[in-house]
Amino acid sequence: MIKKFIHQFASPKTYLFQVDRAYPYIFYISLFIYLAALFWGLFLTSEDFVQGNSYRIIYLHVPASFISQSLYLGMAFASAIFLIWKVKLSAYLVRSIAPIGAVTTFIALVSGAIWGIPTWGTWWAWDARIISTLILFIMYLGLISLHDSFTDNEKADKFLAILVIVGSVNIPIIKMSVEWWSTLHQTASITVTEKPAIDPSMLYPLFGSIIGFTGIVICLVILSSKVQILKREKNKSWVKDYV
Amino acid sequence: MFNFKFNSISDAIFMQSSNGQYHGLYVWSVVLIVLLSISVTFLVYKAQIKNIGKKIK
Repeated sequence: MIKKFIHQFASPKTYLFQVDRAYPYIFYISLFIYLAALFWGLFLTSEDFVQGNSYRIIYLHVPASFISQSLYLGMAFASAIFLIWKVKLSAYLVRSIAPIGAVTTFIALVSGAIWGIPTWGTWWAWDARIISTLILFIMYLGLISLHDSFTDNEKADKFLAILVIVGSVNIPIIKMSVEWWSTLHQTASITVTEKPAIDPSMLYPLFGSIIGFTGIVICLVILSSKVQILKREKNKSWVKDYV
Repeated sequence: MFNFKFNSISDAIFMQSSNGQYHGLYVWSVVLIVLLSISVTFLVYKAQIKNIGKKIK
């Protein structure tokens, strides 16, 4: 039943027509939420008692970090679907997500480095959280290069899917690095099981920025997947009608 | 909760904290990097889609 469902809704043609319809709604709603949350966080919340106004970087850094890890999990999930059910749209999505993951991880690393200057007194430390995030960034770049180095797309998709699944071991390491090792990076302020350590007046715009940024990144993944589909299906008759 | 926390636009730009440090440079440079990275990524993909579309036609 799952196989039938996936194959029915996962043809590249159906996917393109569906996402084209959803794209403007996702884009404008997410952009509005993100900009409103940034305005709220940057201008309407009080300064932090310890970090002063530099804490406002949280509204840009945390969404990027959250998304950079979530995108990798998304890639691992799509890779599993590709390997189990041979859904080619999943393989296209894996390759499409990788560059967006690299951009969001880059944002997370750079924003973290800039935030580190006023709070830690240094822009870089050989800290478990920072190193594991740097590894994630290198992994994204490596996966893109590896896929593009193949001439046979089918082989490339298979290799990529396997490597993505193997590399997903890094995600729990990033998440738990602040618990397992003594790090400069603080422990998580928001967890599923405990009450958030942030005041609600600072927390609500943070949730807004995470939701808005997620929507914007989904739009980027849609565009990136469109590029992959058009490149790889260019000889199909429906593509000519589509463009 | 919804009151503007800075007295003027220049206060919002410089973001002087109660410890006397100015944090505006850090905050605004991150804002710029994020918005620029996202905008450039959007533009690159839009251009790629346009080019591929032209080639297919």
